Amino acid sequence: MSDPRDNVQQEFLAEAHELVEALSRDLLLLDEAHHRNERIDPALINEIFRGVHTLKGIAGMFGYQHVGAVAHALEDLLDDLRLGRTVVGPQLLDVLFDSVERFERLLALDDPQSPEEAAGVQAYIAAVRSIGTEPAEEEDDPLEKYAIEPAVLSVLTEYEEHRLRACIREGLQLYRLRAAFDLTAIDDSIETLRDVASDDAEIITYLPSMEGGNEATIELVVLLASRVPEAELRAHFEGRYGTVEVIEERTHLPTLPPRLTSIPSAAVSVGPQPEDDPSQASTRSAANSVRVDIRKLDHLMNVVGELALVRSAVDRIVDRFKGESVHRQSLMDLDRIGRGFERQLSELRTGILDVRMVPLGQVFNKLARIVRQAARERDKQVRLVVTGADTEVDKLIVEELVDPLMHLVRNAIDHGIEPGDARTRVAKSAEGTLALNAYHKGSNVVIEVEDDGGGMDAHKLREAALSRGLLSADAGRELTRQEMLNLVFLPGLSTSSEITDLSGRGVGMDVVKTNILRMGGMISIASEQGTGTKITVTLPITLAIIRTLIVTIASRTFALPIAAVREAIPYVPKDVRTIQGREVITLRGETLAICDLARLFGFRGSSRAEGRFVVVGSVGNRELGFVVDRLIGQDDVIIKPLGKSLSSVRGFAGATDLGDQKVALVLDAPALFTEHFDGQDALRALETRV
Amino acid sequence: MSLTAQRATAAPASDRETGAVSVLAVFAGDEAYGFPLSAVREILVPPPLTEVPRAPEHFLGVISVRGQIITLIDLPKMLHLEVEQAEPYGRILLVHNGDELVGVAVDRVIQVYRMKPEQIEYASAMGTELSDYVVGVGRVPSESSTDAEDMLILIDPVSLLGGMK
Repeated sequence: MSDPRDNVQQEFLAEAHELVEALSRDLLLLDEAHHRNERIDPALINEIFRGVHTLKGIAGMFGYQHVGAVAHALEDLLDDLRLGRTVVGPQLLDVLFDSVERFERLLALDDPQSPEEAAGVQAYIAAVRSIGTEPAEEEDDPLEKYAIEPAVLSVLTEYEEHRLRACIREGLQLYRLRAAFDLTAIDDSIETLRDVASDDAEIITYLPSMEGGNEATIELVVLLASRVPEAELRAHFEGRYGTVEVIEERTHLPTLPPRLTSIPSAAVSVGPQPEDDPSQASTRSAANSVRVDIRKLDHLMNVVGELALVRSAVDRIVDRFKGESVHRQSLMDLDRIGRGFERQLSELRTGILDVRMVPLGQVFNKLARIVRQAARERDKQVRLVVTGADTEVDKLIVEELVDPLMHLVRNAIDHGIEPGDARTRVAKSAEGTLALNAYHKGSNVVIEVEDDGGGMDAHKLREAALSRGLLSADAGRELTRQEMLNLVFLPGLSTSSEITDLSGRGVGMDVVKTNILRMGGMISIASEQGTGTKITVTLPITLAIIRTLIVTIASRTFALPIAAVREAIPYVPKDVRTIQGREVITLRGETLAICDLARLFGFRGSSRAEGRFVVVGSVGNRELGFVVDRLIGQDDVIIKPLGKSLSSVRGFAGATDLGDQKVALVLDAPALFTEHFDGQDALRALETRV
Repeated sequence: MSLTAQRATAAPASDRETGAVSVLAVFAGDEAYGFPLSAVREILVPPPLTEVPRAPEHFLGVISVRGQIITLIDLPKMLHLEVEQAEPYGRILLVHNGDELVGVAVDRVIQVYRMKPEQIEYASAMGTELSDYVVGVGRVPSESSTDAEDMLILIDPVSLLGGMK
């Protein structure tokens, strides 16, 4: 981090990734508009063009030759597109979508000029270039019909001219708006004008007018195209800006300059010209945000942690003097200040956490691309429905989520949703639906991946598990349908695509589960044959701070994440029964398995016999009672990972400083559940696969 | 940052001509050990220890150092010696292990020696069975008498901490 060159490099990469992300998002919008046969917003194409142009520029500066070359080729293509020299079609969309993947790959290279990539890049550029231009059909120039001054026409850029023609062809009415602007704030004013206009009218160009204006103001003539009736447009602009006049079609032809030039004259350079400086728009929109390395936030969080320690040290001093009457007033003051400090501190903590939050939409955009790609590969029609894209989770979780979710989405399309003809045969619409839903639930975020495909065949899963020796015949007989479905998470079962294709799910579900568990989350399946499958992933909102129940076991302090706790009840030793060597108690008529943590952790003889508690944990659809000695209370703790060397010790999600330099281990409820129900072997098998 | 850390970064430069290294000598169990000073970030008075159930026995547990969770190891156990780190141990060395800091519990810190290459017998030349984590043995003037020599078991922190499981 200290090497300035590295820093600059990081900055570049961060910006490049942002641009590629925006590109991906815009392409999805373009794709959607194209599929719905809607009018394609020229501003969108412009936005894509500008992004690629900026990427080309910065890639050049940082020696990312390949990225620059690809961006250059795309820029040409997009320029053709925005100038109407080519149109949006499937081939063009494919090439554009491929660029996202390609950029990501090229940006990940250790050597940005790697010669090995050259061939691939050249092939891609050739593919881009192969998309020919389809010149708009030659017809009478519509411009000739309007009374636009030749002086204006002669300074239009090629793009403005194209937009002007396109608007006329679409039957929009042309208007001329005359408005005076303050010279000192002209950039902002024009930006505001664009915003005001955006819904009702397209701004083709603006030029300083020959008359009007004084030292402080300048009068601009703005050429607008709009579908909105004249009266409405007048109402919209006249009060705020100036006069609006209709540009009529004229009856006799003027003499046009033979060839409209795209070189703007000096007179035009009043306002920002998007064509001349494409980076300007993005700079402006980014002016109110900063990019922050997540490690800096981690550092801030640690500082907050240290402040909390300082605060508790002050508290102890106050406590020490409490019995004495001498400084009573000062002590009370100190106590009050301490409490104020605590409040501010917790606000600071919330604030930092808030900064770490990013909307899940970032992941969903990536997934939308996968959906599109997978559907095309499999020749299936899939409609993607997204809800809750603005649900926020910790940045770290978002990063970790991409792979597992990508896997689930692919599986749903590869194996879940049936081909169109198969669907129509069972009276489903030919187009399958894949839903991505996200919402908050307590201190968790829930993400559902739901398809209306063929569902999973539970019995086939069982057969597969039996035939691979992952399940004994006896155990197999006793499985409920849900338990059969859960077999899909067994390592070794879902590694064969042949078997799982039959069961309706693809490979690697065990890896997905492992990844989710590692984040302290859980995953569950609901599936009906013939109707579809829903996979539900539940995750903590943030990895950094969690609400926990503090307990003691054999005089040692532990924290148990509240998200996994349902209730706590007194432990009555004589009520404990044993079923197949496992201890259970009866809670409201239901059997509850219990796990004595003191015994599990090998704490000898120190546990109390009386007055202990059972903390009922709930993970997914299973419940397990943890026997502990005492309940201390609830506390929000900053969870820290155990060092690398201890990460293989099972049962702990991390550790936390409770203040006063006392460390409590944070119990990993999902791992303890897995260990208890599925045994050590299953857990070890999971671990070795990671 | 503490004084030791400053010295750790300053030392290698001045030693470059002579080839000498600064070694921090400590007692743990019944033996004297030497750590390259450049690998030691800090020496601490032990804070409260939290044991980690089911961890391998050469891990004493975890401690919190200014909010950071640090794993504490038992040096003699790590070297598969019969002796154990005496309780209570007197000091903790915070040693760099890549990005991570690891705590090594010791009885007491002796002093920093500047050792020239000729004072070190490398393990490879000794032919005896030594742990992989040991670079060799260093001879330093005795603490107790002026004409005797003490032996320091020189630790290679990279392989010591890298080999932790």
